[in-house]
Amino acid sequence: MKLAPVDYLILAIYFGFVLGIGWRLKRSVASSGDFLTSGRSVPVWITSLAFLAANLGAQEVIGMSASGAKYGIMTAHFYWIGAVPAMLFVGIFMMPFYYGSRARSVPEFLKLRFDEKTRGLNAITFAVMTVFSSGVSMYALGLLLQLVLGWSFTASVLLSAAIVLVYTFLGGLTSAIYNEVLQFFLIVLGFTPLAVLAVAKAGGWSGIESRLPEVMTHSWRNLSSASQNPMGVDAFGLVAGLGFTLSFGYWCTNFLVVQRAMAADSMSAARRTPLIAAFPKMAMPFIVILPGIAALVLAKMNVGYVLPLKGETYDYDQVFTTLMAQFYPSGMLGVGLTALMASFMSGMAGNVTAFNTVWTYDIYQSYIKKNAPDAHYLKVGRMTTIVGTGLSIATAYVAQHYNNIMDILQLVFGFVNAPLLATFLLGMFWRRTTGHGAFTGLATGTSVAALTLSLTVAEHKGGWIAELHHFPSTMAQNFYIALLAFVSCFVVTVVVSLFTKPRPPEELQGLVYSLTKFPQETGVSWYRKPAPVAVLVIAMLLALNFWFR
Amino acid sequence: MLDLRTPTGWFFSILGVILLGLGIFAPGQASLTTLNVDLYSGLPMLVFGGVMLFLARSRS
Repeated sequence: MKLAPVDYLILAIYFGFVLGIGWRLKRSVASSGDFLTSGRSVPVWITSLAFLAANLGAQEVIGMSASGAKYGIMTAHFYWIGAVPAMLFVGIFMMPFYYGSRARSVPEFLKLRFDEKTRGLNAITFAVMTVFSSGVSMYALGLLLQLVLGWSFTASVLLSAAIVLVYTFLGGLTSAIYNEVLQFFLIVLGFTPLAVLAVAKAGGWSGIESRLPEVMTHSWRNLSSASQNPMGVDAFGLVAGLGFTLSFGYWCTNFLVVQRAMAADSMSAARRTPLIAAFPKMAMPFIVILPGIAALVLAKMNVGYVLPLKGETYDYDQVFTTLMAQFYPSGMLGVGLTALMASFMSGMAGNVTAFNTVWTYDIYQSYIKKNAPDAHYLKVGRMTTIVGTGLSIATAYVAQHYNNIMDILQLVFGFVNAPLLATFLLGMFWRRTTGHGAFTGLATGTSVAALTLSLTVAEHKGGWIAELHHFPSTMAQNFYIALLAFVSCFVVTVVVSLFTKPRPPEELQGLVYSLTKFPQETGVSWYRKPAPVAVLVIAMLLALNFWFR
Repeated sequence: MLDLRTPTGWFFSILGVILLGLGIFAPGQASLTTLNVDLYSGLPMLVFGGVMLFLARSRS
């Protein structure tokens, strides 16, 4: 890919705006709450788009178009089954507890509902996870720019880290959220033309259908057994593993996304945040997956496009950038590259800000220095930004040298939220659940996940202790590990809770379903109420699944 | 607090103007398409930027 001066100009303009937003927001940061939780003052359209964009990193764009070329339209399940239902659930049923409890973070909610040790376990796991994710995101950015543009790994990692550091240091969470929204618009306006051009060149959807095997253009038809589809999953594994445990675990308990909704300016806005985000989420496959499928068709059509190779095998991760290089002239090429860099950077910033909040409130304020004046915690929050960014850079270099460790860690992070989902569901909907139960269940669920990974093999991954079972794909392995982790955490939490003393009901008001008055929305128009919006989302979701069945 | 629509509006207006300028005066070439990609992509950006600026102004 060759860039012209105008492409660099566009990139520079973007950096200018990002830093400018951080600088302007510095004025509105007066307390640790402003810095770490946006002072609960962000309008709903911004929190909704940030809720979506915090998860929409460049790895996702590149990975999803790669999966599109590899697995076809089945990849859309990661959005339609693997995200939207969970987003509805967190908005309707869980946000009243998160927002209403006045907790400042997910670990803090665990402290309010259960006890100190459950919070500690979650806070520490989460802090480690965010640093690694942000490091991996930087690593992927450095690698991509090196491969596509020949830039130096160190220069791209340090430059992007410096920019992220400056704008989060200045404006805190609000700055990260604002820039996520800008990035979201950039992705939509910068990548939609690519999807349109690639699909049109491939002959539209009917052209794609006529040139590819049936399994690539149908999302449900080939799911009755794992051997029928390239993903190697069956309908049960897909719906229970991905659609329930993995996706509910991620969207309902991961503080990175929940934090965006918790920054909203009212309870109603917090509940509508994931619901409104579900609309663009449903449409995302058309921007990120269709180009991958179209690339597969173009490669068959003899129009001058070949699938990128790495040695003897296809390098699907390069599908997106090769399409961009061949469809975009300079100008739009700069926009496309800027959108990619923007999403890498906001992925980093999202992790850094979530790490900040959890470190400052759940670790520093709880275990290191209690009862200091608020100005002290604001300072700690700012310093944590620097430390967090530094740790991420270090992780990026570790990843560069030890590729396999990163693969394993990403696999582990893939299902770390699954047992947590059981803890939350029991905690929120069964008042008998105790702190001891939650802690033991969480520890068991996580150990079961690690153990299953060590005992099963898929695509030569896992099976360090023994090889008891072979999965047809790592995806199937991941789905079933999550399922087992969820079930074991659920069972152990229930059993231990029955043998330990529950907290008195008056302590659990606002934390458990049966002891909480749900917010009644009266006197507002229907589109401002959660339930009708959710019904609309469900109708559209069913229509999409039916259309691409 | 800063109204996000203002910087968003300016950013996309500027991008739109640059792309339209390129599309009109120095259309670039891409190997897989003969369309004037910069022109057709720049136009929606300029419109989007304009709408954002309009909304920001009319609210304040």
